[in-house]
Amino acid sequence: MKLNQLTLFLFVATFCLNVNAQDFKLGKVSVAELQEKSHAKDPAAVAAILFKKGEVRFEYVEDKGFEIITVVQTRIKIYKKEGYDWANQAVRYYLANNGEEKIYFKDAATYNLVGDKIEKTKLKNDGEFDEQINKYWGRKKITMPNVKEGSVIEFEYIIKSPRFSELIDWSFQSSIPVNYSEFRTYIPEYFVYTPNQKGYVFPKVSSEKNKRTIVRNSKERASGYVGNTTFSQDKTDYQETMTTYLAENLPAMKEEAYVNNIDNYTSSISHELSMTRFPKSSIELYSTDWPSVTKKIYENDDFGAELNKTGYFDDDINRLLTGLKTPYEKIDAIYNYVKTNLKWNDYYGYSCNDGVKKAYKDKTGNIAEINLMLTAMLRYSGLTANPVLVSTRSNGIALFPNRTAFNYVIAAVETPKGMMLLDASDKFSTPNVLPFRALNWMGRLIRKDGTSDVVDLMPKVNSNSTVMMNYSIDERGAVTGKLRQQQTDYNAMTFRRKVDNIMEDSYLEKLENENRKIEVTSYSRQNEKDLKLPVMETYSFTGSNLCEIIGDKIYISPMLFLAGTKNPFQQEVREYPVDYGFPFTEKNTVNIQIPDGYTIEEVPDPAVITMQDDLGSFTFITNVLGNQIQISIINQINTAIIPSEYYSMLKNYYQGMLDKQNEKIILTKV
Amino acid sequence: MKIRVLLLTIFVGITFSLKAQKNEYSILLISDSLKVNAKAVVRLNQIDIVISSQRNMTISTKRVITVLNEKGLSAIDAVENYNKKTSVKDIEAYVYDGLGNEVKKIKRKDFKDQSAVGSSTLFSDSRYVYLDYTPTQYPFTVVYESKIETSNTAFIPQWYPVSNFFVSVEKSVLNVDCPLNLGFKKMEFNFENFNIQKTNDTPAQLSYTASNILAQKQEDYSPAFSAVLPKVMMALELFHLEDVDGSAKTWKEFGQWYSDEILSGTTVLSEETKAKMRTLVGEEKDPIRKAKLIYSYVQQKSRYVSIQVGIGGWKPMYANDVDRLGYGDCKALTNYTKALLEAVDVPSYNTILYGDSYKKDIESEFVSMQGNHMILAIPNGNKYTWLECTSQDDPFGYQGTFTDDRNVLVIKPEGGEIVRTKLYEDRGNTQLSSGTYSLSKEGDLLGEIKIVSEGSQYNQKAMLENLQPTEKEAHYKKYWSNISNLKINKTAFSNDKENVRLTERTEISAVNYGNISGGKMMFALNAYNQYNGSVKRIRNRKNPFEIQRGFSDVDEITIVLPHEFTVEFLPNNYELKTKFGAYKTEFIKEDNGSILYKRSLFINKGMYSNTEYDEYRVFIEQVSRNDNAKTILTKI
Repeated sequence: MKLNQLTLFLFVATFCLNVNAQDFKLGKVSVAELQEKSHAKDPAAVAAILFKKGEVRFEYVEDKGFEIITVVQTRIKIYKKEGYDWANQAVRYYLANNGEEKIYFKDAATYNLVGDKIEKTKLKNDGEFDEQINKYWGRKKITMPNVKEGSVIEFEYIIKSPRFSELIDWSFQSSIPVNYSEFRTYIPEYFVYTPNQKGYVFPKVSSEKNKRTIVRNSKERASGYVGNTTFSQDKTDYQETMTTYLAENLPAMKEEAYVNNIDNYTSSISHELSMTRFPKSSIELYSTDWPSVTKKIYENDDFGAELNKTGYFDDDINRLLTGLKTPYEKIDAIYNYVKTNLKWNDYYGYSCNDGVKKAYKDKTGNIAEINLMLTAMLRYSGLTANPVLVSTRSNGIALFPNRTAFNYVIAAVETPKGMMLLDASDKFSTPNVLPFRALNWMGRLIRKDGTSDVVDLMPKVNSNSTVMMNYSIDERGAVTGKLRQQQTDYNAMTFRRKVDNIMEDSYLEKLENENRKIEVTSYSRQNEKDLKLPVMETYSFTGSNLCEIIGDKIYISPMLFLAGTKNPFQQEVREYPVDYGFPFTEKNTVNIQIPDGYTIEEVPDPAVITMQDDLGSFTFITNVLGNQIQISIINQINTAIIPSEYYSMLKNYYQGMLDKQNEKIILTKV
Repeated sequence: MKIRVLLLTIFVGITFSLKAQKNEYSILLISDSLKVNAKAVVRLNQIDIVISSQRNMTISTKRVITVLNEKGLSAIDAVENYNKKTSVKDIEAYVYDGLGNEVKKIKRKDFKDQSAVGSSTLFSDSRYVYLDYTPTQYPFTVVYESKIETSNTAFIPQWYPVSNFFVSVEKSVLNVDCPLNLGFKKMEFNFENFNIQKTNDTPAQLSYTASNILAQKQEDYSPAFSAVLPKVMMALELFHLEDVDGSAKTWKEFGQWYSDEILSGTTVLSEETKAKMRTLVGEEKDPIRKAKLIYSYVQQKSRYVSIQVGIGGWKPMYANDVDRLGYGDCKALTNYTKALLEAVDVPSYNTILYGDSYKKDIESEFVSMQGNHMILAIPNGNKYTWLECTSQDDPFGYQGTFTDDRNVLVIKPEGGEIVRTKLYEDRGNTQLSSGTYSLSKEGDLLGEIKIVSEGSQYNQKAMLENLQPTEKEAHYKKYWSNISNLKINKTAFSNDKENVRLTERTEISAVNYGNISGGKMMFALNAYNQYNGSVKRIRNRKNPFEIQRGFSDVDEITIVLPHEFTVEFLPNNYELKTKFGAYKTEFIKEDNGSILYKRSLFINKGMYSNTEYDEYRVFIEQVSRNDNAKTILTKI
């Protein structure tokens, strides 16, 4: 009777769902859906996902064992021509022979309303394509037939995969509105996955346990001849957990300026294998928490073993370290040695590809090879150095403990003044000034014994830009002056990258054109190659259209071309944090000599703007000495990331600062 | 000097362990003049083209590139495309250090193989192999050698002795070998001012050597690369394309071949569809009015999807399939429209051209496979009406900036014909702005404006209508970036496709537009249309400069001033006429105390010499300065 009860329960459940008006079954497109002219909650939407249902099952296949079967069904409404791209769909799959996936599309069709009748056009072979991207990945694509404004399209795809390490990532949200999104997993007791949810919308979760049975048919054939085959059956019961994640009426994701990576904020769920426990074999633990994830990575041959390899560099490093005493000298020498001798091949990853030895020989390697080698060399020199696992900006923030959370590794070394972070893959990076890609919240440091700790990657020291500008104005309004700018840390790194291998002529053209067409002479640059020192540039300039002469008055905004003109924050509201990457201070000191025969009629009032919680401050101080005006302007943002609840304050801060920077000095003819 | 010494020591260290040493590749042998402005130096680029028959061509390349810094990596260009008809026979590379010592050999299996499907193509059977090498030091030299074989002799690659900006050329060689009976021909462009020797020119052989060409600098407003730098076009009179033989001495013959071999049989439609088209046009007799109805039907029904497989890369999909599927690429949709027009007895012709916002001609003096796009030509009196069939929004017959004013090849059943497409006259590319704004005593702006765009200016504005609200807001905040604190309160559009005219109506506000200090308010009267096209100062400009499309902007704006203020200063009226165009502003005090601001800016299209560039820059600077002229009000 048990079975009957279950059927009844299912029936009731289905019945209840059906009350929700819409039919979330492929093939049941309604006239109402086809008639809809625009999305009820987002009238500007070009298309909407009416429903998307995903199901992940484990099926037992004789001779092969378990196989993951993923079925995804989608119904999309296309409102506008701009939404036609949604009629082209692509799904990537793994095709290398150590885990080949099979994928096929099914039940794909376009629905249109012709008069009051529903017209269905099925997808045929000629709209299906299989692209082999490279050795490892393929992509199945479909393009739907007969798509017009108002069409509804439907399709299903099925992926069969022998890869257990993770289930497909399920995004509840998209760049268009999603009305209904359901993800369901059926996981046998032999597998334990950790579900990781992120984003601002949380799905409803429910689960229940059911019994399943594996039936194995054994055939015993007498010496390969036809006939005389005996069959036997072997049954195994196991428990399967069905978990359902359901979210409805999800708004479209919208891109904004200064967003780290929009995927960090998209509501989604991923599953990572944390344990397998097959009958008659011991429990195998994968990742469940950060320490075990880290430990697992450390035990990986391409990581720990590579890190602990020595010998291949000993002679070179011995020679390099001769005569060096302080830890700083050693760090400096080794870090620069790796930077000059090894070039990053643009591949990410925390595990080595060809191995450190080959990388050392070839003078090129991926991130792991370069930075694990750096760590090993630092250790060899007697310092305490450890690798730090990182997730790059493009990979998203490492929110959940799993092996795929990281895709990068850097080195950390202990010094008497605290821990120093190093990345030798970037020629402009310096100690504690990591390349921008690696600046992504927290990293995870692994010690020799496999234990680990959280490391804050975000810079704490303000990167400075200090400008000293002296200029004089003549009675025709022409400006002649000198400027010196000094930049440190991230500002220096950005600057060095910008001017790298750019011919001076081209750079000066750009400098002139971006600064209100001034003419630059006697340009010089200091410390461009000496990364330990702040980078400096000095030049003389003249400008003919920097002030305005109106009647017998001269109007001039004191910062000339250094004043900002546009508030970077234009949106009225903001959903996501503002991510600068690093805190900074801009300090400008301006000395102005006014022309003979003029007096100062007006100078902008001094001003101070501060943001709450010491997030930042702006000061504007003026001082008049005879026919000279001295102005000091400081803008300071003290934190790399500003949460969205401070957005309107930040926007106003910028506006206040820009208004002040653009206020005019007025000079009058005597 | 520290780095130099270090590098040298490393070089010495390596020399012992390596066998191969090619001193000829040492960077010390590069003359100084070739290093000026160069990120890479082409030591040798030798291309040997051997055509053995109408259906077989091999292209061998030996390229020796010295890369001086990271920016020069692209000059190596070690990549070959292949597909069913084109195969890569050999491909390999050797890397040498600055002194010419071999550092690495890269064999075919170490090249990467990748599908050539890009973001704009849904599917293609083309693939490519490419060199994925991380340089460990600069400078270094790569010797790249490849050999490809193809049956598609319809395309003989063009020869560009200079193929990159900021790259100098020590030596570039072309050798062609071809049987006498295939009618090999060539055409040379822009050889003057470059050192190019023709070393062999017989009906069966052709050779050039270009040497010592200095690195070219990229400059704004320059004509296209192919219009100023030397090139050689080559073709056969008897050629082959994807299993189809062809022959053509003239455009007429070429068109005939294309019609008979490629297009024929592709416009079949079901009787049902034909009947539907006849019902659609009803009693209409005028071919152009019939075409308008059909075009609108195609726009409703189809979408652009690019699928390039085998001859499908050249031959349109069958009209029947497009009818069923509702999608296709430019050839498919053009051909489908043609088939629908046929059903209602309107003749029309497939037209081959270069689709690009930079105007590029089919080279009319050189009969060969050219072009990258297809549109449809409908005879209209002694002219043609042109249809862009990939667009679901373009007005009937509108060419925008993608296919306007250029030589194209019209394919008629009786043969091909070179025709020029529609020119949008400078005077007709208009933007008329009319509106008002008022300022409060706090300097806050409140305004409304109507902007009407026509001609090629319609093209830039037409897409606005279909943007998402956030994108619209972003557009206006950029367009009026001179107004800080801008708020867009309302936008409305009307798109008059019949007359190709887009009207935008916008209401805006902005606090503190007028800058108040010491009882005075200062602001630029021209709030709505500040010319923001920047013309850079360029040191020692070498290239001529070109304005491809002229335009005309006219503004009439009424400014209502706050009662509490009176005008202290109003800018003077201004007028400037140059060969590049004309600019005029007027400030008129109205009786009711408001100000009427009138402005017109007209820019001519044209090709000018390098020395005229600075005059143009000064002209635009005057425009910007006067656009930004400030008014001062005093508190009463």
